Amino acid sequence: MKYNLELIKNKKKIISFSTFLILFSLLGILYSTFNTSYKKPINLGMDFVGGNELRIERVCEEECSNLSPDSVLENLREISSNKNFINNIKLQFQNNNKLISIRTPYLSIEESNNLITNLDNIIGPLYYESKDSRLIGPKLGKRLLTNCITSLLVSLFAISLYITIRFDKKYALFALLALFHDLLIVFGIFSWLGIILSVEVNSLFAVSLLTIAGYSVNDTVVIFDRIRENLKSKKEGYNETIQLSVNESFRRTTFTSITTLIPLLSIILFGSYSLFWFSLALSLGIIVGSYSSILLAPSLLLKD
Amino acid sequence: MKRRQGWLFFIIFLLTLSFYLLINYPLQLGLDLQGGSQLTLQIIKEEGKVTRDELEAVNSVIDKRVNNLGVSESNLQTLGGDQLILELPGEQNPLVASRVLGKTALLEFRTQKEGTSTDLKTLQLQRFSIKELIEQYSFEEKNQNNDNFLKVIQDDLKDIEQELNYLSTSNDLYGKLIEIKKYVDNEITNLFIKTDLSGKDLINAGRRQEQTNSNWEVLLTFSNSGGEKFAEITKSIAGTNQLLAIILDGESISEASVGNQFASTGITGGSATISGNFSAENARELEVQLKGGSLPLPIEIVETNTIGALLGSKNILKSLYAAISGLIFVGIFMIFNYRILGFVSVLSLVLYGFFNLALYSLIPVTLTLPGISGLILSIGMAVDANILIFERIREELYDGNTLTRSIDSGFQRANSSIVDGHITTLLSCFVLFLLGTNFVKGFAATLGIGVLISLFTSLNCSKTILRFFTTYQSLRQKNLYLPKNNFSN
Repeated sequence: MKYNLELIKNKKKIISFSTFLILFSLLGILYSTFNTSYKKPINLGMDFVGGNELRIERVCEEECSNLSPDSVLENLREISSNKNFINNIKLQFQNNNKLISIRTPYLSIEESNNLITNLDNIIGPLYYESKDSRLIGPKLGKRLLTNCITSLLVSLFAISLYITIRFDKKYALFALLALFHDLLIVFGIFSWLGIILSVEVNSLFAVSLLTIAGYSVNDTVVIFDRIRENLKSKKEGYNETIQLSVNESFRRTTFTSITTLIPLLSIILFGSYSLFWFSLALSLGIIVGSYSSILLAPSLLLKD
Repeated sequence: MKRRQGWLFFIIFLLTLSFYLLINYPLQLGLDLQGGSQLTLQIIKEEGKVTRDELEAVNSVIDKRVNNLGVSESNLQTLGGDQLILELPGEQNPLVASRVLGKTALLEFRTQKEGTSTDLKTLQLQRFSIKELIEQYSFEEKNQNNDNFLKVIQDDLKDIEQELNYLSTSNDLYGKLIEIKKYVDNEITNLFIKTDLSGKDLINAGRRQEQTNSNWEVLLTFSNSGGEKFAEITKSIAGTNQLLAIILDGESISEASVGNQFASTGITGGSATISGNFSAENARELEVQLKGGSLPLPIEIVETNTIGALLGSKNILKSLYAAISGLIFVGIFMIFNYRILGFVSVLSLVLYGFFNLALYSLIPVTLTLPGISGLILSIGMAVDANILIFERIREELYDGNTLTRSIDSGFQRANSSIVDGHITTLLSCFVLFLLGTNFVKGFAATLGIGVLISLFTSLNCSKTILRFFTTYQSLRQKNLYLPKNNFSN
């Protein structure tokens, strides 16, 4: 029943692995900043840049007829009075041509209603009760972005403050290093997702980063507590005590991660589509967070 | 043992109370769960911050307009000092609301400058033709536009521009048409002089259909002092060729002459009608705006979310599946690993769920999708504390301690690190709640409440239930607490 993670032996491997993950993330962030059409460290979604997002289902007898987005766009272009936005429109069919999802630059409510009416004419009838439409003005988007960044900074500051008060300097430093390691990696993975699958991040992504921060530090705190406790009472060497403490709290840390991952997986599998990427980001954060709490942070404490 | 029995009754009492609350005060569902529209209105102020008074003034005007519009169960609240959030549940089209709410509705009464009759006549004609052109343009656009027609409109526009001696700068034709119309409106307004009569002097507004045709007119009722001012103004221009203009947000919506018969007293009676070719809809919108008064600061609609009712109920169902399956799988995991202890944690999880929901209906917390995900996520975190305790109990058992002793010291020793560990999560929630948007607040609230309640359920409730179980001799065998194959330590 005892776990035996050879922390002391594998210190180098653990640190190299983390360095690799960090480099991988930084590469994604750099690539995203310089080599993509949006020129941002991460693909910012509608929440932050403004725009119009519409999802609506078609009413079909049995199967929905096959449609090509190009021909629909062509038709839209012909009957729309505002030609400008048509050039920047993104249109997709999902669920066997049943669900249409559209992204356009910001439209007024009136224009958005016209767009729906036009769509109804081209590919209708549409099922209005299934509509999901969001219009966000560019000004609000900028504001949301600053809001999210401030929230992140304030809460990181608060957590750092708490950790420094609670632990000695060395512990605090490594706990925070592990925290930033976790956040950077989740951020980097989403940079890559943006590059490869054009996944966008919205305000819920910022929320997930904040939650990861709280959670990851929580895990590290528990392990560091154990280390401190054992260092006071045990007579073995410093490095051995750390390794022992990690093995003692290994079950606890993996188990709590698993019980947190299970509900998140159920949201990914059964929940609403709007929570999909949010839950994925949280899951990634929890996986990386447990890894850094169990392996990385204690390894950093080890003496050579 | 007695003390714990007290806790047991207390927990049963809380559970009954939760049921009572949930039955009598149903949960409030957010728009993403019941369908509806949400508009975010941003107050625009060029310099300085929006003061509290200004926010309240805007809020009250918008509130009046919403009420006069007759939308049912709408909900208006302020957000972050310079924003308002309006929620319209159900299948109510946000279009009308946005049109009525977005206008400043500044109503002015102005009298014409002397000797400007010819200028006004020309401008009125130009205004008429530009309106025609805009209508034509919209018509052509709808019916698969014909390039020839567009050419005709373009040429006509050029003629008007020449007459006005003003060149439009917009890129597309429609923008040009609107720009010229604004220019003409502005020129017309400039031919009139401000008076001290304005929308503030109204006490009511109404509408009725004109008798001669199908158009509508809007009726204004002045306050006493407003009526006097109106009489004074009409008296001053009665019988002259100066007109009285009613100007709404800088655009003249009616110019009328005052007959000679009013030269001695002016128009008395404290009321006036505006008949400017209103459709029923336009007349109603103007009525609502005038009744609510003008906005002290302009507003802009910066966000609109609309969710169909069907999608809302689908979202509820999906969240329910996610929550229940999450609960079941966490339960299986716990029972598999911790046997009776796992079962205890499942029971306290169920309590946890009910207490949470009851608190939502008590505070009340409006349940939204992110809110539900916060709740589901906190299920996992609630078990966290149980795992910490159970691990300690196991260690004590392995060390050969008695069951009662192991349980006691397990709870005792885990206490501090549980409280400590949750502080960071609570910190994040707190920041999110202070700084986040409406959407984010829901998540922060449910996660934060969840973490707090989990402290009670996983420390107190599970201890009480466990104590209750261990009063039965048959439930006190060690192998019910430790998987057998792990005994060989």
